[in-house]
Amino acid sequence: MPLSIETTALTKRFGDVLAVDGVDLSVERGEVYAFLGLNGAGKTTTIRMLLGMIRPTAGRVAVLGEPVGPAGRGPWGRVGHLVETPAAYPELTVRENLEVARRLLGLSDRGAVTRAIERLGLAGYADRRARTLSLGNFQRLSLARALLHEPELVVLDEPANGLDPAGVVEVRELLLSLARERGTTVFMSSHVLAEVDRLATRIGIIHAGRLIEEVDAEELERRRARSLVVDARDRPAARAALEGAGFGVALAADGALVLGEPRAIEAPDEVARLLVAAGVPPTRLAVEQEDLEAHFLRLTGGLTTGPA
Amino acid sequence: MSPFLAALWAEGLKARRSRVPPLTAAAIGIAPLMGGLFMVILKDPERARSMGLLSQKAQLIGEADWPSFFGLIGQAMAVGGGIVFAFAAAWLFAREFADRTAKELLALPTPRGSIVAAKFAVLAIWTAGLTALVLALGFAVGGAVGLPGWSPAVAWRGAAAIAAAGGLTLAVTTPVALLASVGRSYLAGLGWAILMIVFAQVLSAMGWGGYFPWAVPALLAGVAGDPAEQVGPHSYVVIAFVSAVGVAGTLAWWRRADHTR
Repeated sequence: MPLSIETTALTKRFGDVLAVDGVDLSVERGEVYAFLGLNGAGKTTTIRMLLGMIRPTAGRVAVLGEPVGPAGRGPWGRVGHLVETPAAYPELTVRENLEVARRLLGLSDRGAVTRAIERLGLAGYADRRARTLSLGNFQRLSLARALLHEPELVVLDEPANGLDPAGVVEVRELLLSLARERGTTVFMSSHVLAEVDRLATRIGIIHAGRLIEEVDAEELERRRARSLVVDARDRPAARAALEGAGFGVALAADGALVLGEPRAIEAPDEVARLLVAAGVPPTRLAVEQEDLEAHFLRLTGGLTTGPA
Repeated sequence: MSPFLAALWAEGLKARRSRVPPLTAAAIGIAPLMGGLFMVILKDPERARSMGLLSQKAQLIGEADWPSFFGLIGQAMAVGGGIVFAFAAAWLFAREFADRTAKELLALPTPRGSIVAAKFAVLAIWTAGLTALVLALGFAVGGAVGLPGWSPAVAWRGAAAIAAAGGLTLAVTTPVALLASVGRSYLAGLGWAILMIVFAQVLSAMGWGGYFPWAVPALLAGVAGDPAEQVGPHSYVVIAFVSAVGVAGTLAWWRRADHTR
């Protein structure tokens, strides 16, 4: 079965700026693939190349087994998308906006519009002009359009933008059900890493135009750094006792002691015994794993941005 | 439904729901109304003299009769239509960038060429409607003023001249679509249209207007006297060339350019 998305050495240069640099992506059918990166890392340029909106300087893109050609040719009847900011014709109603999309998608099923409206919780707004919608409902309208034709692949740039917490959960459940029940491939970029953590089965991290990590969610779980966090009433004494036993000790933001060595992480009971013996019993002893946000910031070097 | 018809339906709905078409109708509708006012002034010389500068201008267009009235409307159509038609073209294309909807037109089973063709079709229908409005208002205003010199032949010639002014103005408006697309803004298209009207005035005054496509509609409408002095077959060739460049350039841009917005 062909991949949903396959790029080979995908490169885009805007003048002197190398926005995307030799990106090789392979997204399997039914995956929820999260494409992460700082602002300007090359996410949106890559997404636009996947959708034939920007022509690569070099490299190749295939979507659902078909090459994305010049003049934007591609299997677009089977692909839904939401790129960057949500958009709609402000003078048209929600229903009219979706009706325009239905016709341009060549969809003969007239009921698709009503189903999309109901699925995204827009029934109460169906006859409202798009200009009167809140940001959250505008986002829902864009998602409804992306899912209108029940595509095999959806490419979503920040799908949770503008949604309230209930909306975020609703969209997460919707995307998960599409992936699990219908085998829809979801390719999404997001800055809400907690959301990505709950949703993605595979994660790619792009930085300064280069794909610096591509990993399954399970493998990522194993790769995330772990540490033993220790606290005591007399922190200096506890630190001295640990360093005296040969442990490297770092300080957490809240002043707690952080031990990164495997012998500490794998035997916290030994650490506890050592501290008790030294007369500084621990008040907290926990093996903690970095979250996706910490992993992402560690890989991308924090707040620095790439060239595009 | 074919992709072109689907796109035409979509563009038609967007135009119908917008306030821009009524605004353009209101703007172009001023032409026959102003023409009627001049005719009223011309019909009464005493009153015309008492009007000062306006009456002197009104004298320039000749007699207060149907042929003069049609000539006046045709000239207003050629010059004013240049701006109003450009406004319509700029809106049809640049609105997709103002509303950030351009990206929704790119990755679709409906080819981009069909969408661009549908936009041009709506522009043609829209401007034909504006031309018909000017004609209808012209007949109504001329009738209300009670102009002399009516005959079916005069009416036919007048209507044909106004329709020709409308058609030729539409033909030279296509580059506005290209510039509004490339510049991704209304201003790029409208700025171009205004610049071309200025150049048209200068080149017509120099006697070269027949070679400048944007001057030809007004010259044909008699804005600089006898059209035969400047307009010839070469004028239609340059208009066809510019029109083709506008359409082909817009199609090529939507199909091939990097759409980063």
